[in-house]
Amino acid sequence: MLTRPVGPRRNNIVVHLALIAGALVMMFPFVWQILMSLSTNAEVQSVTPHLWPHELQWGNYAEVFRQLPFLHQLRTSALITVIRVLAQIAFCTLAGYAFARMHFRGKGVMLAAVLSILMVPSQVYLLPQYQIVQDLGLLGSLTGLLLPGLFSAFGTFLMRTAFLALPAELEEAARLDGANPFQVFWHVMLPLIRPSISVLAITSTLWSWNELLWPLVVTTNSDDMPLSAGLATLINDRTVNYPVVLAASLLATAPVLILFIALQRRVIDGLATSGLK
Amino acid sequence: MNNNLSRRGILTGALGLGVMITTAACGGGGSDAGAEAADYTEPAADITADLTFSLWDQTQVEALQQNIASFQEKYPNIKVTISVTPFAQYFTKLQTQASSDTLPDLFWMNGPNFQLYAGNGKIAPITGPIEAGVIDPGKYPEALTTLYSLDDVQYGVPKDMDTIGVWVNKAVFEKAKVDLPGEDWTWQEFQSTAEAISKALSKDGIYGGAGGMDGQTTYYNTIFESGGEVIADGKSGYASAQSQQGISFWSDLIASGGSPSYAQLLDTTADQWFVSGKLGMYWGGSWFRSALSGTDIEDSITVLPLPRGARQATVIHGVANLVAANSRNKQAAHTLQAYLSGAQAQQQLGEAGSVIPAYDGTQRTFAESMPDANLQVFLDAVDYAVPLPVSADTAAWNTLETQLLPDAFSGAKPVAEVTADLASQMDAVLAKG
Amino acid sequence: MTSPPGSAPVVPKESGTTKTRRPLRRDGIWPWLFVAPLVGGVAVFYLWPIIQTAWFSLTEFGVFGGTTFTGLSNYQELFADPDLYKSIGNTLLYTVIVLLNIPIALVVASLLNTPGLRFAAVYRVLYFLPYVAMPTAVAMVWRLIFNGDFGLLNYVLGWFGIDGPYWISTPGAAVVAVSIVGLWSSVGFSVIVLGAALKQIPPELYEAAELDGASRWRRFRAITVPLVTPSIAFLSVVTVIAGFQLFDLLFAVLGNSYSNPTIYDSMSLVYMFYEAGFVTNEKGLAAAVAMVVLVLVALATLVQFRLQKKWVHVD
Repeated sequence: MLTRPVGPRRNNIVVHLALIAGALVMMFPFVWQILMSLSTNAEVQSVTPHLWPHELQWGNYAEVFRQLPFLHQLRTSALITVIRVLAQIAFCTLAGYAFARMHFRGKGVMLAAVLSILMVPSQVYLLPQYQIVQDLGLLGSLTGLLLPGLFSAFGTFLMRTAFLALPAELEEAARLDGANPFQVFWHVMLPLIRPSISVLAITSTLWSWNELLWPLVVTTNSDDMPLSAGLATLINDRTVNYPVVLAASLLATAPVLILFIALQRRVIDGLATSGLK
Repeated sequence: MNNNLSRRGILTGALGLGVMITTAACGGGGSDAGAEAADYTEPAADITADLTFSLWDQTQVEALQQNIASFQEKYPNIKVTISVTPFAQYFTKLQTQASSDTLPDLFWMNGPNFQLYAGNGKIAPITGPIEAGVIDPGKYPEALTTLYSLDDVQYGVPKDMDTIGVWVNKAVFEKAKVDLPGEDWTWQEFQSTAEAISKALSKDGIYGGAGGMDGQTTYYNTIFESGGEVIADGKSGYASAQSQQGISFWSDLIASGGSPSYAQLLDTTADQWFVSGKLGMYWGGSWFRSALSGTDIEDSITVLPLPRGARQATVIHGVANLVAANSRNKQAAHTLQAYLSGAQAQQQLGEAGSVIPAYDGTQRTFAESMPDANLQVFLDAVDYAVPLPVSADTAAWNTLETQLLPDAFSGAKPVAEVTADLASQMDAVLAKG
Repeated sequence: MTSPPGSAPVVPKESGTTKTRRPLRRDGIWPWLFVAPLVGGVAVFYLWPIIQTAWFSLTEFGVFGGTTFTGLSNYQELFADPDLYKSIGNTLLYTVIVLLNIPIALVVASLLNTPGLRFAAVYRVLYFLPYVAMPTAVAMVWRLIFNGDFGLLNYVLGWFGIDGPYWISTPGAAVVAVSIVGLWSSVGFSVIVLGAALKQIPPELYEAAELDGASRWRRFRAITVPLVTPSIAFLSVVTVIAGFQLFDLLFAVLGNSYSNPTIYDSMSLVYMFYEAGFVTNEKGLAAAVAMVVLVLVALATLVQFRLQKKWVHVD
């Protein structure tokens, strides 16, 4: 008992040291990216790497706004991401709940079919999806751009896993009280998996935010591209201004990072209040 | 919901069928499109059209918009929507569009991919505009107009051009106390100069020359200079003794120490060595000029023609603006295509500075953009230039080159063995296509 | 295995709740209503393309469309191609290395879960950074780190007297290099998922065990690991599925074939698919590769599901 007040604190120092060492490894490429975004193109390409730029080139960031309709593309990214995340949360929680906790004919086959979507190279979908969107007359439209991304097999799997982990008693009790399955889902089960929904929100946001090939192929006007595709247009085939590309990618990453910082608190808080003890 | 699902199912099923039918019909569509395009007449100034235009280089959009603005002074009701797709994804997108008959009205095309699209009837010939006198193929480097013709039908003319030269960092020569070679230099002089510099400056990690992995800037040139061929009459040219010499040029350079080792060049590319001031001579395209601006070595640059082998040669390439065969606004698209190929637009493009325009007499701005660097070399090279080697399925044998040739460059296998292997595998691919 | 008396009643209770199997019950129309929006969209935009691809794998597919039925000839060509086995090997190597992210993340997540730890939120963000960063930008930095002559990695290895290889241009080393980046960028997600799972473990379990003198390591092994097995199972399934899709990262780190022919020695299954489908225009062959990927991943997933019945602690 004598060591108790001291023990945890000393332990925590060890914990901090371990975590800091790991964090340095995780951070380093990111920090270097920041430094390179403030360097000249020659410094970035220099044979002996420059860790610190000779003179901070803030102009690289201004150049991003000169070369790209940055705010316009940012708005497109935000819009399609919000719609997709909301749709994915709605569709994936519903389907995930059914796959986890309901009984119906063909459930196993259907679940396997949904999972199989994750198992083929994603480029397989490019031409067929393009032709479906074309057939619907949506080429070049915002709807066409976001449509296939409304449905997520990964999200369904994630939500199924979350619902599987919940104890059965709550559900049984609500059913005995006469609630219909949707009411059970909505009032009892859904609130319990809020942390997992936050994880889904983070992953689907990132996926939508960074998606490259589909928006590049399906948009017909550069100005209507989301940011991920817009950024890619900065990478020329012959000569690339690397610092500007890096600056642009940092600017594009910032909103997602802020969202994560905000959400990760909610993951924790959500867990604390979810009654999962 | 079920209803909705099945309706969509039918919809997409029918669609899949539609695609097969239309593309089957396109197989023999090339000649039809040719006959149709021959009726081109210059439209009235009040013609109305919405054109789509696809390209891959963001840095040229500004110049293109200037071009379009002057074009619209005459045709105010032709609107143009520009779509930029980076080169890495450009041809994936173009292929998706071509497979769905949704190609943009006008789009950029390069040599390696041209025959695939032209041969499958995806591109409208410019026979009509040429007959109407709005495009004059005689105004462009001949090597490039042949690049964009197939079976004696002309599909486009180049909008820009690039040739290959040796970029020289004079500071490295001074530091190594090696004399700058003259413009009429030979392979031997190049090799001995590279070796001398590397020897003198090895303690600084500076090299005289560098091999590369890119045919266009390195080994295609030496193959042509030794009198060899990359591809001729639908067969690989790699089996010939001349082509072997063209490859040996690079393996010798690396073996002599005149260049960084093969592995070093993969980690740090030749242009990086050069821009960092660690390389005396870099074989590079005219496009490399823009990569030099703002670097420390910008002021000590000069350019030499490629050193002469059995003959003098350089690879020439250029991008063309082409019109889609199934464009709904073909007349307007050809009109814009012709305008962009003309003297006025080409002059504007040259002044914007990112590329060398292809139209005869509009190139001076490029030569003057680095007055002390003798950029005229790249323009003079047109006289002895050879078009970038291409075929109907260029990519298929390009991958063989990059897969097999490294063993020759690194010295892992004898050059003759590698080129013989490459020739036979390449012939197999060409026979299949 | 003398379990601490304090915790003994708690752990069995946790697992005991699930042992009562619910009677099989049909839910009528409700499940269909629940899955319809997702399955409808998925069927149109994803399953239909897979079915098409399965058909294309039996055909010679024109560059711009148009099919000729050729039976199994694409598969014959594919199985005779040594590249197939090379790419399966590379893909497996990559997947196995990236799977290491799970134990690493478990250690990090449980350190973060230390009661009263300050700055936990800051750490969580730092570990998540690689997952958020744009892949192209990340790859540029890693290429510099891996540079054989001037790279940071070989510089650090030099301290230990190790002469590092030219990472991205040496066959073998290149796959490892790509895997390291894959590992690095996937730890963050696993930390989040496992962190969420750890939070669900009642702290009383740890307190009781600590009172009984169980070491930190023993508490980790006896309490933490078993209780997060469902999340570990989820992560391992997802990591394997994603590992088999290795493509973008390979391209981004190694560069394209023009700048780095090592990519042919380091190719993954999806790279093979891409090259056949989009570079050399053998779309029928590409479809066959896609089907092989599907079957392999499906098998790997099935095996995992089977095995997990043995080791996953069901809540």
